[in-house]
Amino acid sequence: MSTLLTYISVNDGKLKRSSLEVLSRCNELAEEHGHQSDALIIDPNASEVAEKVKAYGPSTIYTIEDPIFKNHLNTPLLKALATAVDQVNPDVLAFASTESSKDILGALAANQNAAALADVSEFDLTNDGVKAKRPVMAAKIISSVESAGYPTILTVRSGSYDVVEKSGDSEIKEIPFSFDEGDLKITLKEIIGATGDKIDLSEAETVVAAGRGAKDEEGQKLVEELASLLNGAIGASRALTEAGIYDPSLQIGQTGKVVSPQLYIAVGISGAIQHVAGMANSKVIVAINKDPDAPIFDIADYGIVGDLYKVLPPFIEELKKIKGNS
Amino acid sequence: MKISVCIKQVPDVNAPIQIKEGRLIQDSDRNILNAYDASAVEAALVLQEEHEIDEIEVVLIGPEKAKETIRKALAMGADKGTHIITEDGISYDSFAYAQLLAAYFKENEYDYIFCGKQSQDTDSGLTGSMLAEFLSLPYSTNAVGLEMADGTLTVKRQGDAGQEVIEVPSPGLVTCSNDMNDPRIPSLKGIMQSKRKPVDTVSVSDMDIDLSDESIKTKITSYEEKPERKAGEKFEGEPDEIARKVAQLLDTEANVI
Ligand SMILES: Cc1cc2nc3c(=O)[nH]c(=O)nc-3n(C[C@H](O)[C@H](O)[C@H](O)COP(=O)(O)OP(=O)(O)OC[C@H]3O[C@@H](n4cnc5c(N)ncnc54)[C@H](O)[C@@H]3O)c2cc1C
Repeated sequence: MSTLLTYISVNDGKLKRSSLEVLSRCNELAEEHGHQSDALIIDPNASEVAEKVKAYGPSTIYTIEDPIFKNHLNTPLLKALATAVDQVNPDVLAFASTESSKDILGALAANQNAAALADVSEFDLTNDGVKAKRPVMAAKIISSVESAGYPTILTVRSGSYDVVEKSGDSEIKEIPFSFDEGDLKITLKEIIGATGDKIDLSEAETVVAAGRGAKDEEGQKLVEELASLLNGAIGASRALTEAGIYDPSLQIGQTGKVVSPQLYIAVGISGAIQHVAGMANSKVIVAINKDPDAPIFDIADYGIVGDLYKVLPPFIEELKKIKGNS
Repeated sequence: MKISVCIKQVPDVNAPIQIKEGRLIQDSDRNILNAYDASAVEAALVLQEEHEIDEIEVVLIGPEKAKETIRKALAMGADKGTHIITEDGISYDSFAYAQLLAAYFKENEYDYIFCGKQSQDTDSGLTGSMLAEFLSLPYSTNAVGLEMADGTLTVKRQGDAGQEVIEVPSPGLVTCSNDMNDPRIPSLKGIMQSKRKPVDTVSVSDMDIDLSDESIKTKITSYEEKPERKAGEKFEGEPDEIARKVAQLLDTEANVI
């Protein structure tokens, strides 16, 4: 039987929703085509994490457990993935699109002589590979792509599929693995500005994003107040991450993260295509911009034309009232 | 020390695009140096200003007319170009690009290879790490900062948890984000000088590589317009009033509060 294998991303012991989205899609495809859907966890506490993955119903959960996976390092991760592919022999190996998976996708494909499809928004099986859709040209256009041969390795944009829980008896199998630190090709010196327990941008239900229009302290304070009131994550345009005002991990767009929240509020963002590439799939978009012709208004469901310093205080006040009443 | 920068000519994503019967029709006069590659060239030039870097080479795979993009990088300040010439109208996937580049680098010297972290048109971001693997090089993708000491690169890369500071020994490979610099615009002098800088050409058929169907693992079958998002309502007027109004609509109409 053919196997679809989903790599489960873990952040500090927490499952990344985006990888459960991918697993749910693989479960669905497996059922449709009479295949098997398995999961793979590579983590210092993989067996603990495996217990949590059971709720999403993969047939087998493969684990590779080693302290070396505490931080992202491409050399051991590639070796572990190659080991898992050898053992499981999947037709498809699917990842959520994260910085870590982007770091190794190409190298793993080269290592396995396999087809790779990056950042797809839809995928399905063909007779001898995968067909998928990918946004291209800064997400202005959708391309249909096909791969031939197994395994096909792909990464999936967050928000492309729903997470569906599934009961079933998952079997947990540990894959033996060892890594000699002397084989590390690169050396990790330090991790700066780890985002820790802040709300994960690519998984947030609400995102409040700040652009150049909100570049001073007062603007940031308003954006932060709005985000915390809505229990949302803060994001930013490149104008603000480049200026060092927000951490680069908060950048949304072609270069940064892809987000797909229920509510996206763009504060002082013009709506350049490279920014829109990362947020156009938000369910409801609100834009606040003083320029009535800003391109962001072309995709906003609710556009507020005005100075953010004058608009945000009454907006926040009204939302507080609404939250208090509900 | 020698740094080789892989560059690509891409269509300008800001230029109008049409789709006819599933095919992309682009304004072929609006081709540009991939912005991420431009950042990689800039990063190499900045390192050269402070360290003993004898040569910055740019390597481009593409049809004859893509030579203009090599000239652009030379005008920015790169020392020499290598053009791996492909036939017009043939397109490769990342795997084939990486194989061609690997075949070239196996025969040529370098200390570090820089690439853009992705190509602005396809956004695949595969070629760099594929190339590293084909050459068995240590690598880091998505660099947002580079420093050099004693001939070794320290890369700041954007990871999931934060910025990872990584030492990449030579020979090694780094893919660059465009968040780390503003690529310089060639001066008139740079443009004049670029005309005298050497550009070697190699044709794919002369290379020791078999690019049969085997190596084309993915293909684009068609293109379609993205379903357009319609503009909703735009509110203009008293800031107080419109702000309150939209807040209420988010609650009662959009149901997202
Ligand atoms: C290859 C490439 C990749 C890129 N990737 C990304 C990416 O991933 N993410 C990204 O964001 N960008 C990216 N960019 C950059 C992008 O093209 C834009 O430059 C950037 O998004 C602009 O940010 P901004 O909208 O905040 O700033 P601006 O374009 O300067 O817009 C600021 C807006 O704020 C409004 N404003 C100013 N003051 C106020 C006020 N008081 N009240 C209300 N409104 C106000 C203005 O009217 C204006 O519309 C990329 C560019 C390239 C070339």
